[in-house]
Formats: sequence, structure tokens, C-alpha cells
Amino acid sequence: MSRLASAALAAALTFSLGSGAALAATEIEMFFPVPVEGKLAKEMKNLVDRFNAEHPDIKATAVYTGSYDETNIKTRAAIKAGRPPAAVIMSANFVLEYQINDEIQPLDPLVEADGQTPDAYMSQFWPALHGNARFAEKIWAVPFHNSTPLLYYNADHFREVGLDPANPPATWAEWVDAAKKLTVRDGDSIKRYGLMIPGNYDYLGWIMTALTMSNGGLYYNPAFGGEVYYDTPSMLGALTLVDDLVRKHKVMPSGVTDGKAVSTGFFAGQASMVLLSTGSLSFIRENMKSDYGVAFVPRNLRNAVAIGGASLIMPKGLSPERQKASWTLIKWLTAPGVSGEWSRFTGYFAPNKGAYDLPEMKTFIAKNPDAKVAIDQLQYAQSWFATYNTVAVRKALEDEVQAVLSGKKLPAEALKAAQTKADEVMRPYVEQTALRLPQ
Amino acid sequence: MRRTDPSALLALAALSAVVLVCSTPLLWMAVASFRPQNFGGLDMAALWPDFMPTLANFAEALDSANFPLLYLNTVIVCAGTLGVQLVTVTLAGYAFARLRFPGKELVFYAFLLQLMLVPPILIVPNLVTISRLGLYDNLIGVMAPYFASAFGVFLMRQTFRTIPKDFEEAAIVDGANWWQLVWRVLIPLARPGMIAFGIVSVVSHWNEFLWPLMVISSPDNQTLTIGLASFTRGAESASQWGVIAAGTFLVAAPLLLAFALFQRQFVNSFLFSGVK
Repeated sequence: MSRLASAALAAALTFSLGSGAALAATEIEMFFPVPVEGKLAKEMKNLVDRFNAEHPDIKATAVYTGSYDETNIKTRAAIKAGRPPAAVIMSANFVLEYQINDEIQPLDPLVEADGQTPDAYMSQFWPALHGNARFAEKIWAVPFHNSTPLLYYNADHFREVGLDPANPPATWAEWVDAAKKLTVRDGDSIKRYGLMIPGNYDYLGWIMTALTMSNGGLYYNPAFGGEVYYDTPSMLGALTLVDDLVRKHKVMPSGVTDGKAVSTGFFAGQASMVLLSTGSLSFIRENMKSDYGVAFVPRNLRNAVAIGGASLIMPKGLSPERQKASWTLIKWLTAPGVSGEWSRFTGYFAPNKGAYDLPEMKTFIAKNPDAKVAIDQLQYAQSWFATYNTVAVRKALEDEVQAVLSGKKLPAEALKAAQTKADEVMRPYVEQTALRLPQ
Repeated sequence: MRRTDPSALLALAALSAVVLVCSTPLLWMAVASFRPQNFGGLDMAALWPDFMPTLANFAEALDSANFPLLYLNTVIVCAGTLGVQLVTVTLAGYAFARLRFPGKELVFYAFLLQLMLVPPILIVPNLVTISRLGLYDNLIGVMAPYFASAFGVFLMRQTFRTIPKDFEEAAIVDGANWWQLVWRVLIPLARPGMIAFGIVSVVSHWNEFLWPLMVISSPDNQTLTIGLASFTRGAESASQWGVIAAGTFLVAAPLLLAFALFQRQFVNSFLFSGVK
């Protein structure tokens, strides 16, 4: 029993220590996921420590909350339990759901209290990011770090097969042609794949968005969260391309390849080209032994990709002091200086355009031209799909694409099934909105 | 058993195969944690240690999280949960095994029904309760939902029922009351059952991730699994497998060590209680 007593005592101690620290300062919590490599959790703590040092009247705590999906679960549970955090770094395409559920507050009043118009405030961020942050006539989120998919290629492999690393494939035709040349075969077995794409949940949906958008598609209805365009010619073309790369051209591995396996394959020289996030840029730059290059995602009908990454949101139900403290933290984290620092550390691009006017960023870009490609692609970037029940709607497509990757289904039937499933998931919302008519 | 018996050889081969399958992740973890960092090199997957062992991965893992604090918090959670559980499950187990009261069967089946619930669906209701009790972001909040364990009650009820009533009757003749009966007669005899339950409880709470992640917010209260995840998980990059292996090794080591030291007792109590 003494063990129990000491455990209870220790627990009581930690509790009293935890709650005794706040006297004058406004205490706020910010939930954050670690979407890229682990050291980011530490860097985030350093950042928040700096914020606290500069703001003696606020005591912010950065709370690590797992992956994007787990952060979503924890945030929702905390809100339901009446313990909303003051701010959350939330996957940018989950924001819409919080707005639909009336769980976050519009930021316009705070912007206006600073003497700014919402238009002027949003204009400091890249235009491609506005769709996932400002909708339904209000600002709901502030972009924190963002990404787009990029084509990474092994320049040594390019030279070896007579391709020019300075002219990476720009169209699907050139892409498939390059992949064929880059694939190394030994009889029936493949020793080096021309191309790999991540097939795990979340990543796969995002890559399919990029491909269907490059094929002229939209993926979802940006104005209404109850519609996705899965069973369409643009998506059929994109999925057929994927299917062809695996089965017809045999330049891509069959089955589901995890995002980590894709980057590992790229490092190990097993894959000559890969589609990965700009969020991996720093990691690849530090660890890739051979010469590599980055390029836009190749196009069929147009250059277009969806953004990814995360935004800061503010749940409802905060006291005015905590709201103010949270808004101070959000502004501090998204100002040009910090935004640029975080971008150089992670590889994500800085959402704040002002970050690129700072001298340290100019030096960095001059030294790392690959970071510039991500910025250049931004002018073709569009909003990230966000619907009612985004995760389930996305998974409806991903399950079917995985079936195609594994050779269990043909593209056309897979997309029909995905569309049916997604429509089913969104039906409750559609019935409450688009199908709710005057009696 | 004769050595040449083909069926014995076959059984041995089959068992070896099972052992190999089960131990491969552990072996890989041990090998990879000492392997020098080589991002994405193919030999990363190899089980065979073909390199100069390095402690660099451990240094980086230890540097990435406050391990002493994480160990302390995890030990508090496991010990605190188990301590309360042992009291509640023995008393409830005794009640269901020996006492007679109206509705006993019904209550017991209601208890068992709890085993059928998938824990994630209880996250929100439990968190609401915890937060009303003022236990949000508190280690006691992590432990609280487990204080009453349906599995433990069931196990202790079955254990008590295997003990012949003669012992208790003898104690009653000697003038023991009900709690002396439980404390001096039944608990000493039920010890293997309690150890078996203790193992199951400690292992599951040591490894638990989602519930502590929901309850705990301040870094000072984090448990090992959350600390490990904070530097090993990443969706958009290749992983530093060596550091992941070293971190996992650090998390799993105390349990592995405990198993190695008390293997005989563990096996005995499982044999006794029939838990697998």
C-alpha cells in the first residue's frame, strides 16, 4: 500500500505544481501536431519559450498532440469536455468542419480591433492559402505552415540514362517517358523504379488531388462542403495514369507504398523520381547523398496542385483575456520573421509573403534554389479539399485507389464505388443544406 | 519422447518458426538501435549486426525527450492504477464469488458487458467526467477510468471460486470477520491471480497512448508513449530509424527487464490463472 500512497502523493504534487504557476500571467495552451520529423517538437517548444520571454503577461504552453488526425480528435474531445485550448495548429482542411459544427470563432473582430480590415489582413498571405482560411464570409484560420507536392528526382540517375537534370519532365508524356528510361530491369524483376508515390492514408488523397487538378479537375466543390468530384473524366484520367504506371509501363511498384518508404527508397537510389511534400525538403536536403533536383508536379491539361499544411484556429468559449492572449500568440507565430525561421527549419514554405522580403530569407533562397521551386509552384496552387466529414470522404477515395494500386480493381469501377461511398458519408449534411427546400 | 520422433521434430520446427516471427521486431529494434545513422540505406532493414555498434542513437533519443520525467510519470500511472485496482477488484471479486445478494447475476453480467465496449467510444464521455472532477491534465485523470476493471473483477471472482470453502469455514470457526477472511485467508491464496492481473494491467497502461494523449496537456505530465511519439512520428518525412529504435528500446526496456527477472513467477501465475 505504501507504493500506492507515494504514487498518490507524487500525483498530487505534480498537480499542485502544475496549477500553482499562474498568478498574474494569462495562461494559454496551444495544441500542435508534429507533421514532419521529430526535432520539430523541440523547436516548437523553443519558439514558445521565446514568445513567453517577450510577453511577460502571457504564459503559453505548447502541447504536443500526436498526428494531424490525433490532434483533431483531442481538440474535439477537449472542446466537448469544456476545456478548449486557446489555439490549435490544425490541418488546414479540417477547419471547415469546425466552422460547420460552430466550434471555432471568426477572427474578423480581432483583426478589426487591431484597426485592420479583414481584406488587408489576409493580403499578407499567399493567395492560394485564402480558400482554406477565409470562407463563409469570415476569417476562420491563420495559415501557419504550408506545403505543396513536389517532384523530387535523382539527378545522377537522370544523367546516367541521358536525361537532362536541368530540364525535368513537365508534362505527363515526358514524365512517363522519363520513368520508363529510369527504370532498371533485370529480366522480369525491377531493380530500380522510375517513380514512386506515397499510398498511405492522407498522403494518397493529397497526391490524387494534385494529379486530378493537373488534369483539369477540381476534386471537390470549394463553395459547398457536400460535393466531391470522384466519378469524373479528370479523376478517371489521373487514376488511369497511376494504374498504367504500375501495370502497363511497370515503372512504379504495385501495392501501397508508405510515404516513409518512398523517401527511404529515394535516399537509397531505389526510386529515381518521387512525389513528396515540400515539408520533406529540409530532410531530403540534409540526408540525400546523391545530387537531386525538384520540379513542379507534371501537368496534363494545366499546372495545378492543392496546398497542404496547417493553420492556427481559435476554439469558441474562451474568456476575453485568453482570446486576446491567443490572438497575440497567433500573430507572433505568423509574422514574417518567425514564419521565415520555421520555414527554413522545416522546408514548409512560409505563408506570410513578407518572410521572403527579409534579408536572411533572400540569402537562404540564393543558397538553396530548390526552396524557390516550391514558392514558384504556389502561383498554380489551389485550395485543399475540405468537406463535411473530410477524413471519411477522403478515405472513400483512398480505399479505392489502393485497390487499384494493388491490382484488385479497374480505375472506372473504383471511382464509381468511391463516389457512392463519399455521397453516402455526406448525405446527412447535404439533406440539411442543398436538399433542404422551402415547404 | 524419443529424439528421432518425426512429429516432435516437426513441432520443434513449428515452434521455432513462431518464436522467430514473434521475436523479429524485438531483434530488429535491438540491432537497429546500435546501428550508425545511415538515412534510408538498405542495410537498415538487416537483422544481422554488420557494423561497429554506436550509442549515438541513444544519445539523440535521450536528448529528444525528458526521459527521467517520462519514466516517473509512467511509473506513477501504472503503480497508481494497479494499486487502486487491486483493492477494487479483490473486494468486488470476493462479493461476486462468495456473498449472496439480490440481483447478483444481473450486476455481474452488467460488469462483463463493459468488456465488450471499445475504449475509443468512451473518450469524450470520460473526458467530460474527468474535466468535471477537476482532473483534466492530471495523472490521476489518466488512471481514474481504470480504477474499476471488469476484467480484474472477473478474474478475481474466478480465482476465489477455485479456493475451497473449507479454509474460510475454519477461519470463521476461529472467529474471523469478513475482512480478516479476505485479508488473511483469501488474498494469500489468490496471489497468483493478482499477479497475473497485475501484469496485464501494468503492460497495458505502460503502452497506452490515446487516452493519456487526450487527458494530458502539459509536457510535465506526459507519459513515455507520448514522449516517444513526439520525436519519432512524422507524416511527411523519412524516419530516422536508428533513433526510433533506440527510443522504443528505452521505452520497452523496463518491462523486458522485469520479464527477464521474474519470468518464472510470471509463467507460474499465468499457468495458475489460465490467462493467456
